Formats: sequence, C-alpha cells, structure tokens
Amino acid sequence: MAIRTDIVRIYRQVHTWTGILTGLILFVCFYAGALTMFKEPLERWITPPVAVTPATLDRAEDLVAATRALRPEVRDFTLAVEPALAGESPLRLTWTEERFDPAPWAATLAPDGSVAVEQLNPSGIGLLVDFLHRTVGIPGDLDIGTTVTGVASALYVVALVSGVIILLPSLVKDFLILRVTRNVKRMWLDAHNLLGLISLPFHLVMALSAVVFGLHDHIYDTLDRMVYGGQMRAVAAASSPFRTVSKDMGPVVMLPPKEFLTRVHSLSPGFQPVSLEYHDAGTGAATVRVWGHDPRYLVRREGFVLMGAADGRIIDTQYMPGHQNGWSATVSAFFALHFGTFGGGIVRWSYFLLGLAGAALFYTGNLLWIESRRRTERQAKGPVEQSRATRLLAVGTVGVCLGCVAGLSLTIAAGKWLSGLVDDLHAWHWGIYYAAFLGACTWAFLRGAARAGVELLWASAVATAAIPATSLLGLVLPGLWLSGGLIGVDLVALVGALAFAALARSAERRALSGPRDSVWAATVARPKSEMGIHPLTHPAE
Amino acid sequence: MAIAPPAATAPAPIRPDWWSKTLAGVILGFLLAVALAGLFAWIGPGGPAAVNKLQLVMWMVAPLWLGVVSVCFLFRSGRQAWLWLGCATVLAHTALLAARSPLLP
Repeated sequence: MAIRTDIVRIYRQVHTWTGILTGLILFVCFYAGALTMFKEPLERWITPPVAVTPATLDRAEDLVAATRALRPEVRDFTLAVEPALAGESPLRLTWTEERFDPAPWAATLAPDGSVAVEQLNPSGIGLLVDFLHRTVGIPGDLDIGTTVTGVASALYVVALVSGVIILLPSLVKDFLILRVTRNVKRMWLDAHNLLGLISLPFHLVMALSAVVFGLHDHIYDTLDRMVYGGQMRAVAAASSPFRTVSKDMGPVVMLPPKEFLTRVHSLSPGFQPVSLEYHDAGTGAATVRVWGHDPRYLVRREGFVLMGAADGRIIDTQYMPGHQNGWSATVSAFFALHFGTFGGGIVRWSYFLLGLAGAALFYTGNLLWIESRRRTERQAKGPVEQSRATRLLAVGTVGVCLGCVAGLSLTIAAGKWLSGLVDDLHAWHWGIYYAAFLGACTWAFLRGAARAGVELLWASAVATAAIPATSLLGLVLPGLWLSGGLIGVDLVALVGALAFAALARSAERRALSGPRDSVWAATVARPKSEMGIHPLTHPAE
Repeated sequence: MAIAPPAATAPAPIRPDWWSKTLAGVILGFLLAVALAGLFAWIGPGGPAAVNKLQLVMWMVAPLWLGVVSVCFLFRSGRQAWLWLGCATVLAHTALLAARSPLLP
C-alpha cells in the first residue's frame, strides 16, 4: 500500500515518542496482567492446604443468623457458595472493613452451633498482581497509579495506530517474516512487527479499555459538566440496581440462603452462582446480590442478580448475563474483552500468552530504539561510546523489565515459605517485590546494561525456578508441601525459568563475542591499534 | 539543483509542527469527542436517561478522542489542525447545546 513518505516519516516519530514514553510502564502492566489470568491458582499454590470437607448449604441459614446475633453491626457480608460446595474453603461469611482490604474477617459455625470470628491472613498474591497491573507499582493512592497507566494507555493507542501506518507500505513484503541474520536491527524490527501485527486486535481492545479504566473519573466529570448539565449523578442513580430499594432500616426476617439460589436457577438455569453478597442484612432495605458466571455470555468478571433478602423478589437484572438491556450488555462485553472472562480455558490461556507477547513487544520496541541510535565504529572510524540516552534507556529497560519479572517470581516462591510463619503475609509479598524490583534497577544502573542484562536474566531464571523447586522441596521438607492439582503453576514456572536461562546464555555470548560497538557489549572499547582484528563483528546497517 | 521538483503535481510536504498539532489533537480532540458522545446521548436512541446508557456514552469518548489524536498529524500544519478541529468542536458543541433540554422536571 502506498503512503506518502513524509506521512510515514512523521508517524515513525509519533510511534517512537509514544513508544519510548510508555514502553516500560506497559511492560509491567502486561507482564502482571498476564499473571492476573491465573491469580486464583497462584493464591491456592501459596496457601497451605487445609482439610475441608465439601459443605452443603444446609447450615448456611444458621451461620447467617448466629453471626447476625454475635455481630449485629456487620450488615454487609459475603457467603462464598462455590468454594464451600467444592471443598476449597469452609462454609463461612466474610467481610472487610474497607475496599481492597487484603485481610478480611470470617465467621464460621462450630458443630455446637457457636460462631467463631477471626481475621484471615491470606497471601493476597492475586491482589498484588492486580494492583501491579493497574498501577505499575506506584505506591500511594490507587487513583495516582491508575491515572498514570490511563495516560500511558492513551499514548499506547496512538502508538498502535502510528505503528500500523508506518508498517502499511511494506506490509505485503514484510508480513510474517522473521529475518534472523547478522543484521540485528532488522531481526528486532521483524520480531516487533510480527508480534504487533498478529496481536493487533487484542492490543487495540486492551489499550482503549485501559484508557477508560484509568481515566473514567475524569471523563465522567467532563461529561457531567458539558453533556448532563451537572445532573449526571441523578442519571447514574436512576440506572443503579438499588434505585427501587427502600430505605427502611427496621428489623426484617430474611429468607434462607438456599432459597435465593433456587430462585436464581428458575430465572436463569445456565447461571452458575459463586457467592451471595448481603447488603443491609436484617433490615427492611436488605438485599442479596447473587454473583456468578454464565459461559454463554460476555460477562464482566462476574455478573449478578439483585434480590430482596426478605421476600426474594428479583429487583434488578441489568448485570445478569442474558437479562441485560442493550446498553448494559454492550458495556459488559467491553469489560469481558479486557478481562478475558469468556470462552473458558482457551481464552484464559490465550490472554496469558498474548499478555506475555505484549510484554515482549514493548521490550523489543525499546531494543529497536537502542539499535537505531547506535554509533558504529565504522562510521566513527574508531572505538565509540554510546550516547547517554542510549545507555540510560538500555539500563532502564533491563532494570525495570527484569526487576518486575524477578520480583514477581521471587515473591510468589517466598509466599509458600512464609505462609503460616508471618502475621502479615500480604505486606511481606509487597516488601519482597519492591526490594527485588528496586534492587534490580539499582544493579542495572551500577553495572551497566550489558553485564546487568546477563546477571538479571540469570536472577530471573533462578527466582522463577524457585517456584517449582519449592514444590519439589515440599516432598521432603516439613513446613512445605506440594500443592495438589496445581502442577500447572510449577510447570509454567519451569518453562519460564528455562526460557530466561536461554536468554541469559545468549545475552552472555553477545556481551562477550558480539559487536564491540554495541550498548550490549561487556568489553570496554579497546585501543585503536586493535581495530580490524574482528572485521566480521560489524553487523550490516 | 538541476532537477526542479515537480511542484505542480506533488503536494507540499506536511509540516511536523509537533507541539501545536499534539495540543490540538489532545485538547480539541477531547472536547470534540465529549460533544459527539453527548450528541449520541441526547439524540441517539433511548434519550439521555436510558438505563446504563451513561456508561456507554463514557466509553465512546476514548476511541473518538484518541482517534482524533492519532490522525491529527495528517493536517498540513499545526494551524490547519487548530482551524479544522476548532471549527468541528465549536459546531459539535453548538449542536449539543441545541439538543440539550432540562434533565429533571
């Protein structure tokens, strides 16, 4: 396809700038995002197994009543249905004191009918991976981090469009070609184009939805002022599922939990309930949200139907798969496309692999930038030193990307060792991640990109190998264990560790015997008299 | 130069004008996207108060806005970008004001 060269030149600059400004942020978003696809198995891998016999919901009514009697001030709580029926957790009510609280309270029923309330200490690795995905680990208020990733995602949309524009003229010639030759830049360019083009629809969906997730507060504020004349809150309230619920706070008797499931089943037999979320329990305003899946529809993480807790009437189905109006269903589809909550295991694995491929896209993008700005010995007619910008980006790429990889692997493996030993496992997870991440960045800065690249790749390989190694040690060491049914976590980590080790070996070879006039060369530029000894080490331009 | 450029046939090359084009795309593009999404809210199907339509209206802003940012570098100059996008934004907001009526009785 013919496009004027001045247009291509301009969009190449647009692509370069948007890419370089966002590459490292997006790497962390994508790597952590890929892991969020399997955060429940990761959580279970870290958690010590407890002998739980699959429960029935026969005693759930007593549990709710006894907990209400013991803690009347707790009116919002959740009854996990699916995990209790599957024997993954005991039958219990949980509640948190604030949103995103990693340590919820839990009430369980003893055989004698008494209620025990304790604060749980879960690993919360899923929460960590999710927050890292949303904020790239920027500490402080969630809003700061999500605004940063929202802005980065906006630039990422522009990077995608400009990337396609500059690829169009050579699309037919270069499509699906990977030229592995001495021309390193050509190879990285081919790899970058290949990754970008085959996953373009995925990237467009992710970029646009991430802009919305990151910046929706700001967009809503503007819409309120310019479109809804300051009355947007009223419009939103008129769409709320709770809009018709009474404000009556007087005491009311609620239906038994099983009853809600029966009614949901008759409303929608294909809906698989996961949990019951009570709101204002025991009052005239009491409601129950039955959360669950329906594999036949594009659903936000989970859908729900809102019911009256006292009479079991269906109050709202705007978030219930198959019972939404067109507006709600369309928006739910956008959510589902971002979260990969459709199509079951195949989509989950595809999103995991596409996420990792996305991370690789940003990594190769940075490598391309570095290769394009390379000062060669031949042009300079002598040993060269790479520019400060090139060295800094190389150091940053190595430190941030490998710091994220090594930090996540390390904190996952460490979780299993620390589980049951420390009081605040979730805080330990963050501490270990930050220590590894900042350590890797500092190391890269001190050692330079070439040497740190090799060393941090080995560190990533070792940290990732620690995951299956921990499981193996669980066979012999007391205090550790082999998690049943989670061999997939260990196998994926093993494959990852082998891949990092292979990359480390190839980076090592390149640092020692690759071209000296590269930012990746470990050798110091030698005196001019030695020039010409390795004439073949120059790659083609 | 021995060979004169074929000025009659080839259009003048596009001026980069990075700052003015980028600002036009980001600022005017956002205002334009808000107005277009707002027009859809008011004169699109269901009217502005349809249940959960607000969420879709908000989602529309992102692709419209970033679409404008993405193509705004095609303008011949930053001046042209401000001129065209400015006119489009004023027009869209005028139409939005005309389409709006009090939401609450």
